[in-house]
Amino acid sequence: MCFAVRTFALDPKLIAIGVAGGLLSGLLGVGGGVVMVPALVLWAGYGQRNAHAISLGAIIPISIAGIATYGVAGEVRYWDALALAAGAIVGAQIGAGVLARIDERLLKVVFGTFLVGVAALLGAKA
Amino acid sequence: MNGPTLYVSLVAFGVLVGVASGLLGVGGGTLAVPFLTLAVGLSQHAAEATSLLVILPTAIAGSLALRRRGVGDLGLALRFGVVGAVGSVLGALLALALPGSTLRIVFAVFIGLVGLRLARDGIRGEPDSLGS
Repeated sequence: MCFAVRTFALDPKLIAIGVAGGLLSGLLGVGGGVVMVPALVLWAGYGQRNAHAISLGAIIPISIAGIATYGVAGEVRYWDALALAAGAIVGAQIGAGVLARIDERLLKVVFGTFLVGVAALLGAKA
Repeated sequence: MNGPTLYVSLVAFGVLVGVASGLLGVGGGTLAVPFLTLAVGLSQHAAEATSLLVILPTAIAGSLALRRRGVGDLGLALRFGVVGAVGSVLGALLALALPGSTLRIVFAVFIGLVGLRLARDGIRGEPDSLGS
């Protein structure tokens, strides 16, 4: 039993990062990777590639909880999501293949530049 | 956009979202939310809600692909995510209580700041704490 408890136990830093990532995910409709990946790297000491992999897996239960909450409020557009997701599943296979051998510094620059561009675009339209 | 044009655009944009997801370790919501508001015309709330439903299968597909390549620890990731799910319910309830325009500004400011920091770190070439 002790072993079972220990295998499920999480580092307190992971619990804090998970809750923070979940809050951002539910609030902003993103996976939460935008906060979990930097926190896992800069605070919890994970390498960039491992942090991305752990964040991506955590997004599964996190997004299910968010979908359920927004679903009750009637905000989920199921057909739009289905069409986007159909393309996304194909694209994810391509992206994951690149992640397994990409330069981590390049990954940061690409990710960062991408987010700044999106922010500017949204700010212009808000 | 409407009818077939809308759905063809959604599928095509979905491929791009999926590449970003697998590549960057995020579910692609940072791309999907702006696309759904600016191009498809959904409200900020509907875009965020719909984005989460795109993120879920994307994250599953991306995680399985990484697992086949031996990157990361999916069991740890799922336990970590169950803790995160508590936060996500609270975050969604907070979003539903806010006006759409406020929510969009919060979204833009947050990802802009995170993006600037990551790009700066990458350009300076600061080593990860574990190195590689």
